[in-house]
Amino acid sequence: MSTYILMKILESAPSRYDLGIRLLTLGRLGKAYDRLTSLVKKGDRVLDLGSGTGALALRAAQKGAKVKGIDINPRMLETAQARVKAANLAQNIEFVEMGVVELDKEEAESFEVVMSGLCFSELTEDELRFTLKELRRILKPGGLLLIADEARPRTILKSLIISPLRMFLRIFVFILTQTTTRALKNLPEQVRTAGFDIVSSKLNRSETFLELVARKPGGREK
Amino acid sequence: MRFLGYAVANVFETLLRLLPFPCRTGLIKIGKPQKDSPVFLTCNYHLTVQRVKRALKGMDAYLLIANSRGINVWCAAAGGHLTNHEVISVLKTSGIEGLVGHRQVILPQLAATGVELKIIKEKTGWRIIWGPVYAKDIPVFMQNKMKAGRMEREVKFPFIQRLEVAISWAFSLSLLAGIIAAIFFPRVFVPLILFIWGLSLATFIFYPLYGSWLSSGKGSLTFSLLVWGVILLALVLYSHLSSGISWRFLIRWGIISFVFVFITTLDLKGGSPLLAGGFEELKVTIDEDKCRGAAFCETVCPRNCYDVNRKKHKAILPRAERCVLCGACIIQCPFDALYFKNPEGEVILPGTMRKYKQNLLGKRVMKTGNNR
Ligand SMILES: C[S@@+](CC[C@H](N)C(=O)[O-])C[C@H]1O[C@@H](n2cnc3c(N)ncnc32)[C@H](O)[C@@H]1O
Ligand code: SF4
Ligand code: SF4
Repeated sequence: MSTYILMKILESAPSRYDLGIRLLTLGRLGKAYDRLTSLVKKGDRVLDLGSGTGALALRAAQKGAKVKGIDINPRMLETAQARVKAANLAQNIEFVEMGVVELDKEEAESFEVVMSGLCFSELTEDELRFTLKELRRILKPGGLLLIADEARPRTILKSLIISPLRMFLRIFVFILTQTTTRALKNLPEQVRTAGFDIVSSKLNRSETFLELVARKPGGREK
Repeated sequence: MRFLGYAVANVFETLLRLLPFPCRTGLIKIGKPQKDSPVFLTCNYHLTVQRVKRALKGMDAYLLIANSRGINVWCAAAGGHLTNHEVISVLKTSGIEGLVGHRQVILPQLAATGVELKIIKEKTGWRIIWGPVYAKDIPVFMQNKMKAGRMEREVKFPFIQRLEVAISWAFSLSLLAGIIAAIFFPRVFVPLILFIWGLSLATFIFYPLYGSWLSSGKGSLTFSLLVWGVILLALVLYSHLSSGISWRFLIRWGIISFVFVFITTLDLKGGSPLLAGGFEELKVTIDEDKCRGAAFCETVCPRNCYDVNRKKHKAILPRAERCVLCGACIIQCPFDALYFKNPEGEVILPGTMRKYKQNLLGKRVMKTGNNR
């Protein structure tokens, strides 16, 4: 029975996904996505990494950008596709089943913006390093990297308070959505090491959620 | 000390088997590997990694840990957590390509439900070799020049593994039921826990006695009712012998045993790797015209359902009744000669299996024209 119930939950994952994620981030996600996508301009070519149910991709397309969303989960893509159709944005968004480390076919300097919501924390350390390098290659000079993700508190005290709380939330979210994440440590440093300039980096008060805007050097300053 | 850690991990993770235990992904060196050392790949379920490392002891090899979200190989592959993407990722990002001269990677055969040999070759140039189902057979596999014999390719459900499943099941269930009982019905707490453990252990230990009966398509409902009947009889007998028939006792324990017998036995098909978890109406079907006898199906089937007629170059399914609907054969057949079909003639095509694996298996059937 337990496996049966787990299977059911797993199968309906995409529909519960949004709920689970919203619980994990306690509602701040939507606002963060709005702030980040306000930097997208009409006509921009935008890549959305780990597009999931399409929350970021839809916002960018509504601003008139040409969006490519990639994700490794075919059921997420199925849900995203349905949402795009319902919003009448099919000409502006393309979804492809592809992992973040499979961008080798993308031309160098072909995107104005790369964005990613809650996907980097699902990557392995090796993947993250590899991906940041690739992003630097495919972004145009002056292009933007927009990230919203879970962070690990840097202050020990906050860390002590947050860990058990998060453990509990995590088990709950796992049962709901069958995903686990690993909150990011030192993401801004890693992004800088990969050759980006940090434009802005914002942690919430409990230091559990990070909003990051970075730029590939060169091009026209905005 | 090492062994103690291994033992503790074994006990702990057996008890909590229903939860994932992720461990670090990436590259691990075993011994002093060289440019021509073999490369193994497995999931990042902690216990599996421990077992593979143990099996590789004394060898010089590279071990790649793919990100299966802390889930074991078979469940991850069937559920879409160990797919082409995770394998491509660890091959490309772990640095292994700079360390060895060859491009051969050994995957546990059960990963064949999720990872496509053909796509990995196309996208990365790496050739997958299907290794044995159980890590402990790796040394034999290496001695046989990387060939897994029929025995090493088959999923079994031996006593120890049945015990593990029974214990993890009883533990989770008694934790849940125990808390409820302790709060609301403290008097039944002890007998209830004993009952849950006894029932779980008996169910899984006696599995060989009724397993073939269940797999012959008999409903698990009939089985559950049978088990409940036996327990009812025992209850009547007990109450007769102890203090004379007491209706309150019988009704209370009748209801309790009913609930737990059904929770435990209805899941048998999910809990046993030897039974298809529902959807028995689906049958693997061979398209004779497309089959060219490549025998990929025979290699990956964890239930040894296939034979290949080497003269006619055609696959046959002499042991189809053992099928657990894992889909590995359908996913790996290079000529799309296999598919699932139900009695109504609806099918699940290879493309669908490759994309969604076992997720929503029953809902993915579709009607076809009369070309099949
Ligand atoms: C937490 S969801 C976020 C989805 C979406 N950005 C949102 O905010 O609603 C993360 C997504 O990343 C995807 N993902 C995880 N690892 C990935 C990888 N290596 N390559 C591409 N996508 C990945 C998952 O399938 C999942 O859909
Ligand atoms: S069914 Fe497919 S894999 Fe099996 S022998 Fe025929 S062609 Fe080969
Ligand atoms: S015949 Fe059945 S058990 Fe064997 S590989 Fe195919 S689906 Fe799996």
